Amino acid sequence: MTASDLRIVLPLLLLAGGALLALLSGGITRTERASYLVAYPATLGAALWALIAPSPAAASTVGLASDGLARLFTVFFCLMAATVLALSRTYNSERGLRGEEYPATILFTTFGMTALASATTLLSLFLGLEAMTFGLYILVGSDLGHAGSVETGLKYLLIGAFSAACMVFGIALIYCFCGTLVIGQAVQATLLPGAGSSLAMAGWSFMLIGIAFKLSLVPAHLWTPDVYEGAPAPVAGFLSGGSKGAAVLFLLRLLPAAGDAGLLRLPLWWLALLSMLTGNLAALRENRVRRLLAYSSIAHMGYVAVALVAGAAGGYQAAAYYAVAYGIISLAAFGAIAVLERTGCGATVESYRGVGSTHAFPAAVLTLALFALVGIPPTAGFTGKWLIFTAAIRAGELPLAVMGILATALSLYYYLRIVASLYFSPVAARQQPLLAPVERIALGCLAVLIIVLGAWPSPLLDLFSRCFNR
Amino acid sequence: MEAYLFYLLAAVTVIGTVLAITEKHPVHAIVYLVSSFFSLAAIFFLLAAPLIAMFEVIIYAGAVMVLFMFVIMMLDVGRSGDGLRPGLRQWLPAMLLAGVILALLGMMLAHGGWPAPGAGAAATLRDFSLTLFRQHGVAIEIISLQLLFAVVGALYFGKRRGP
Repeated sequence: MTASDLRIVLPLLLLAGGALLALLSGGITRTERASYLVAYPATLGAALWALIAPSPAAASTVGLASDGLARLFTVFFCLMAATVLALSRTYNSERGLRGEEYPATILFTTFGMTALASATTLLSLFLGLEAMTFGLYILVGSDLGHAGSVETGLKYLLIGAFSAACMVFGIALIYCFCGTLVIGQAVQATLLPGAGSSLAMAGWSFMLIGIAFKLSLVPAHLWTPDVYEGAPAPVAGFLSGGSKGAAVLFLLRLLPAAGDAGLLRLPLWWLALLSMLTGNLAALRENRVRRLLAYSSIAHMGYVAVALVAGAAGGYQAAAYYAVAYGIISLAAFGAIAVLERTGCGATVESYRGVGSTHAFPAAVLTLALFALVGIPPTAGFTGKWLIFTAAIRAGELPLAVMGILATALSLYYYLRIVASLYFSPVAARQQPLLAPVERIALGCLAVLIIVLGAWPSPLLDLFSRCFNR
Repeated sequence: MEAYLFYLLAAVTVIGTVLAITEKHPVHAIVYLVSSFFSLAAIFFLLAAPLIAMFEVIIYAGAVMVLFMFVIMMLDVGRSGDGLRPGLRQWLPAMLLAGVILALLGMMLAHGGWPAPGAGAAATLRDFSLTLFRQHGVAIEIISLQLLFAVVGALYFGKRRGP
């Protein structure tokens, strides 16, 4: 390992070291305060390093790189982890969710995401994804006081193990065909039209099944509502924003190496269509807020799949932008839900009645996030959908774009149902929560980002297009 | 010759795995899984990868299965009364699978012991370790951290039971 390698892996080292230190300090001091104090600098430091580090002179020898995409997503994942930590503190202490394991596992999950972001071989790509999912198995089931929590964790674990098995089998078949694990070479040898053999196609099919589970694309979506319902709210936000973003990044690492989706276009096309339709239709009939957001996340991953089908016609930029935008939006939504659940809001839409007048700030953030999920300008959700559907039309995928726009119109109903419940209903008496300053800051930042990214997306888009049009 | 050996061993592996899945008694399922691992190890040996064959036996058939047994003992789900006098139907399939594996291993040894490597030379322990730790060093570290957090997660879920 050379000095330039060290510069590439420094964010990873910071996160891994932070995770270990958080565990140790929690064990020594017997409080979780120290663990949180370690966790913030670790995430922020990793993000800062990815922002300002000079690009390495020599190519890496360790199977990791720090190109533009890797850095952008490292910053995104690390800042997201810091926000999740900020939103978790009061939520956890009120629900009796104690222990230094929680912040340490958040750091470890971020470590996995960052490893995935900077992977250059199929092996480190897969291991990064698995490390992330592994951390989430623990986090999803971490609320031991909640009745269904361990069951939720187990459900996620079984589904995750199945998808990991599919994915590793797919990677083995692809390796068997082309004899290399380096992403660019492997993808070009197997995915370009005319290059694929049946062995490589079987490998890609297994990979696609595995990643469909991670992205919760229909028909591999059934775990999503249960897990979103049973997990602690900040973890649900992390799962929805971070892990879905990482899974999108997984595909964004693979597909552009072949120019466009190539032989995977048709299966992705169907996954996109089914996810958009099923997600939105199921959400229409859902009355519980978290399950509703879970179905909406299925639909949104369908939109991202549309962007991936559109591919080189601007689709990859759109998918990357949407992954970031959706991550911020869903974290804002679940952050607001985390605060509102403390005030006595239950699972159903009706239990959020009148919150808009009693708890104006979190309700406003939730409303903004819901508007962004519908795609109302000038939010990031609108810009993302605009990019996706224009890319799809440019790539000649008119039916998919039309279906997507219709599905979006349909989704207006169920998002607005929550907003209506927030503001246009008689006020119920409820307890006043103490909004910790750090939560206020986190929610405020997320809300500002939703607006800023939506109204002024060009800097981020420039960066992305530089990543994909090398 | 090698092709026959392979197909027989592959059949034993698949049958062992299917029986491990369908078997209701957890201890029996583990015995089937062990036999499946053993024939898989023989296949690796046949493929001129003696190192992987050893790993398969030591790590999977040895360590992992013993761990499973311990877990079953601790949870006490293996109906212990049945074990005193297993019926013919219960032990015959396992004995058959084990017998086939043993016979095939014997044939392999009688045929000349070390199978002839295919296109390239068999990877030595040295080559293997150099590739693993030099080329994929970061992967090893990621897996190590993952194992650490497996322990952390297990401790966390084990620590606080009850209200």
